[in-house]
Amino acid sequence: MATSEYYTRVLPNGLLLVAEHLHGVRSAAFQILVPAGAITDPDGREGACSVLEGMLYRGAGTRDARALSAALDELGIQRGGGAELEHLTLSGALLADDLPRALDLYGDIVRRPHLAAEQFPPERDLALLRLQRLRDNPQERLFVELRRAFFAGPFGRSAYGTEEGLRALTAEEVRADHARRFRPGGTILAVAGAFRWDELSDTVDRIFGDWKGSAPPPPAPVGGEQPRYLHVPVESAQEHIGLAYRAVPLGHPDYYVARLAIEVLSGGMSARLFTEVREKRGLCYAVRALYQTVKGSGYVMAYAGTTPERCDETLRVLVGEIRRLAEGISEEELERARTGLLSALILQSEATRPRALFDARDAYLLGRVRTIEEIRTQVKEVTRERLLDYLRRHPPRDLTIVTLGPRELEVV
Amino acid sequence: MTFHRIELANGLTVIGEPNPAARSMAAGYFVRTGARDETPEINGVSHFLEHMMFKGTARRSADDINREFDEIGANYNAFTSEENTVYFGAVLPEYQWRVIDLLTDMMQPALRLEDFDMEKHVILEEIAMYEDRPQFWVSDLARSAFYEGHPLGYPVLGTTESIRRLTREQMYEYWRRRYASNNLFLALTGNYDWESAVRQVTELTATWRRADAPRDVAAPPGRKVARAVPRPNLQQEHLCFVFPGISAQNDAMFAAEVLAVAIGAPVGSRLYWRLIEPGLATTAQMSHSEEDGTGQFYVYVACPPERTATIVAIVREVLAEATAQGLPPDEIERAKRKVASELVLQGETPFGRLLHVGFDWQYRRQLRPLSEVVDRFLAVTPEEVAAVLARRPFETETLVALGPAERIE
Repeated sequence: MATSEYYTRVLPNGLLLVAEHLHGVRSAAFQILVPAGAITDPDGREGACSVLEGMLYRGAGTRDARALSAALDELGIQRGGGAELEHLTLSGALLADDLPRALDLYGDIVRRPHLAAEQFPPERDLALLRLQRLRDNPQERLFVELRRAFFAGPFGRSAYGTEEGLRALTAEEVRADHARRFRPGGTILAVAGAFRWDELSDTVDRIFGDWKGSAPPPPAPVGGEQPRYLHVPVESAQEHIGLAYRAVPLGHPDYYVARLAIEVLSGGMSARLFTEVREKRGLCYAVRALYQTVKGSGYVMAYAGTTPERCDETLRVLVGEIRRLAEGISEEELERARTGLLSALILQSEATRPRALFDARDAYLLGRVRTIEEIRTQVKEVTRERLLDYLRRHPPRDLTIVTLGPRELEVV
Repeated sequence: MTFHRIELANGLTVIGEPNPAARSMAAGYFVRTGARDETPEINGVSHFLEHMMFKGTARRSADDINREFDEIGANYNAFTSEENTVYFGAVLPEYQWRVIDLLTDMMQPALRLEDFDMEKHVILEEIAMYEDRPQFWVSDLARSAFYEGHPLGYPVLGTTESIRRLTREQMYEYWRRRYASNNLFLALTGNYDWESAVRQVTELTATWRRADAPRDVAAPPGRKVARAVPRPNLQQEHLCFVFPGISAQNDAMFAAEVLAVAIGAPVGSRLYWRLIEPGLATTAQMSHSEEDGTGQFYVYVACPPERTATIVAIVREVLAEATAQGLPPDEIERAKRKVASELVLQGETPFGRLLHVGFDWQYRRQLRPLSEVVDRFLAVTPEEVAAVLARRPFETETLVALGPAERIE
């Protein structure tokens, strides 16, 4: 069973290139993370990243919007990405032979978008419509509201932005914003799949080598320091319940300990939340906890959706299970958590798209990509004693709780 | 590429697409049953039963099943559609025996009453959850309107009423008829050991029985309906169009898929340029669903309520224009590449291959390597696309609008 080969290079202009050569695949996937996400949107212009992202594809280099789209489709590129919290991401996957041609097109999109004034009004309209559509998706909206309640400052934003921010934005500002934030210093390009490293490295030099400058550094995340309850009244069929609390970030010595604790809580169908909330009590269809990391901070987000009359009980069980973790974890539970974490990594290591995503994220958070072997070693080193000791020293506290639905909770 | 295939004495078929270079293997039971095989009295039973299959067998409790899947680090799940129920898991090759043992045992569920009563709550929560997802809910409503009264239009989840009424005995009776050894099969992909799998499955399924599990494959022609389902709490109007499509047994389905991508892929399609690019709507997509003896084209659009009439007119115009003038070869070429590259990307993992291999067998009794399917898509000609359009599918239109609108034209 062949494992991957990893390559890393920092270009003189600051662009970080990471690449993972996967054996036995015919495709290549790439992720370009530009430090132009919601957290660095100009104050009062929240949502600028979302408008800029759409504008990038409305003509670049020598091609107008239609010619650009046709060129991408002729290569069969499966397009992805979008405006996100920390980055504006451009991603794609295609047959590996065409990777250099795809990167050429993305060089234009990143460095030479037209950002024409006449393309601005429809793109801003779309951003406003996405904000409107978000209100028809209570589950997604809950997560937006939860992050807003948990973080103080820019990390509480979402890439959707705000209606005021979008309405205040102008075409000139979008051009200036691109000039400010689209810079090689702070940008990451991750490639996973079939490629020859020397060729890829040369291609990236040719396309991005003479790009200059650095994006402004991201702010530091602040939040989750006080307990909070917020209710968002919405006429929905279910009550959507979210909670968040602080955790250590990726790179912290206790990271794998904390990560495995959440795996015990919500890793598989035998994990605590699924068993106690769904299997034993039938309170929910969807219930889960997710470990999230932003640069400089980690946090846990949990979600449950239930009919309004059962939301008090659901929240009580949810919080109870989170607190109960510190009371004891069996060796078997820990072993399932280790297996779940590692197996998911190995299973996704056969596909280029999830690998490019993983590598890009690691490159951003750690400045390098962790190999599966490294993760395996770290995960195996977490003992039950260490896990329980960690949970006792860092009990989940200062919970931010948000409910979105017809009914405000009495307790909390 | 050599495929594996065997029909056991009990009528159960096992098929496999080996890939010894893969790091994992996947296994799945494909049951030829779904909402279209139900009656109004038991609507939703296929999906509810899918949940109950995880609740234990003669030799396993529900906890055992969940725990064992997690012990082997399986990426596993199940889904129910209008005509298929599928249970699947991907694992490292060393866990082949355990994942097959689990999935095979699950096909003979205990259906304990206390589990049935508890899981009913979960199903009712799932129905409520879909009500909060208008994009999915509207396509169910539109399909029901298109096949009004016919089982092809029954909602997969059932209704709150049908689920509340359903009894454990009705479910058992349905399971006994539909989960017969000749109405399901096991598919394997990736790095698996065929000899071992066949020995194991032969032994485990020795008592399985055949049964008469008929399906009425005659599909009614679709209806022409325009219906508003008013929901004043929604911000946008969610529009779903349904048109007659091509069946999974008809070779024209390849051209139908290419046509749907050319007209309605999320980016770079005709609907994209007419609706998204000018900033009129946030989502506008067309898809094609090929099914047993029938098929449908779907168009989904989300837009501000005040623009509904304009948007409906544009969608109709785009479809009428394609029908009248056909699609130019370069547009068809681009759509084919999109379809082909997505297939290749999905096909790189045993997990991604499993559903393709399984459905190829379910619908066409064919075992075709990925390369052959990709080549078939790349071979679609403008004439084949024209032949699909010549059936004038878009003239039989059902439209459902879910949102603030009180009525729709």
